[in-house]
Amino acid sequence: MKKILYIFIFTIIATSAMAQTSMMSWQYSMGFATGNLKEYTSPVSFRGVTYNYNKMVESGAAIGLELGWNVFYEEKGYGTYTTGNVDYSGKQWRYSNNAPILFTISYFKNPDENVTPFAGIGVGTMYSERRTTMGAYNFTGDGWHFELKPEVGLMYNTEGASLSLSAKYYYGFKAGDLPAEGFFTVNVGFVVKR
Amino acid sequence: MRKKIFSLVGILTGLLLWGCYPHGPEYTQDLDIVVTHHNPDYNFATKGTYALPDHIVKITGDLQQGDSPEFIPDINASQILARIESNMSSLGWTKVAYDASPDLLFLPAAWETTTIYYYYDYWDWWYGGYYPYYPYYPPVYASSYTTGTLLMTMQDPTLLGGNGNPVNQWTGVLNGVLNSTFNATRVNGLIDQAFNQSQYLKTN
Repeated sequence: MKKILYIFIFTIIATSAMAQTSMMSWQYSMGFATGNLKEYTSPVSFRGVTYNYNKMVESGAAIGLELGWNVFYEEKGYGTYTTGNVDYSGKQWRYSNNAPILFTISYFKNPDENVTPFAGIGVGTMYSERRTTMGAYNFTGDGWHFELKPEVGLMYNTEGASLSLSAKYYYGFKAGDLPAEGFFTVNVGFVVKR
Repeated sequence: MRKKIFSLVGILTGLLLWGCYPHGPEYTQDLDIVVTHHNPDYNFATKGTYALPDHIVKITGDLQQGDSPEFIPDINASQILARIESNMSSLGWTKVAYDASPDLLFLPAAWETTTIYYYYDYWDWWYGGYYPYYPYYPPVYASSYTTGTLLMTMQDPTLLGGNGNPVNQWTGVLNGVLNSTFNATRVNGLIDQAFNQSQYLKTN
């Protein structure tokens, strides 16, 4: 997971040096698992962060890059599980790390007003890793999902910077060791325009 | 200036998230596991007797190279064997001598495994920044833990596998990180769990 942190830091520094008419945003991200991911781990995650870089290309339209990291986690109590003719008992710790890397297209309505609604879609990949710790053993599965992400939100513009509130849904198709998985996020953060 | 502040906030947020990363087990007992396996085609209900040794073999050394078999200390083995007997009795089984043609042979064994792991990183904090170590002599962090395993198998002496050896009809494995002393309560609980999750062993 340290690699994700390195990619994060590198991308922030690199895009900070890019041309004007751009927006950079940092968001704290709360995740709500759906489907298979919800069955695997706790459905709510308070550990998430997103970084967006958007470059305005037309009036109100932008293309950009998004990086994120959402961690779902659950400590399961002592339990007995069955697989075929094998029964196994113990405590489990389940982790799901999800790191989307997406190209985005967004539309900002009335970007010069105090309140700017926006919507967008992202396409790219998401690296996911599920790790179950039981006893002194780790059982890990991972995969690079093909990823889609719709998003809607609002920006409140102030002098120099903006506040943002958005909702996103990440959906990754079946990949590697993992089934298809998805999660909603609610994001709050700030935006710097240049 | 704003760009620097923004980058700094971003980096700090990433590190904060890293610091909030959830952690796992805190106590050695949290790592105890019990695994059982059985042959679904074997009808335990129609059987009723078993034989159990007085000692528990410790799997170590190499018997094929002439090493003598070792056993775990009798004071510990007696407690383990008594707990096994108690559970078997609760399921309706009767312990008999080896020469009394038991339906099943109960064979316990134990071993220890020490795992050594190490970690190194070419990057680390240095004078307020995150830089690679230079030249290539990163610090190596090493640690180790020892797990203990109790293996319990039941074999029907009349049923042989393709290699001519009896086949396990039931297997129970208890595994956990070892403390410095034998904890009878902890071990008894794991033995009980192995039988609790094997109710198909009940005899008529």
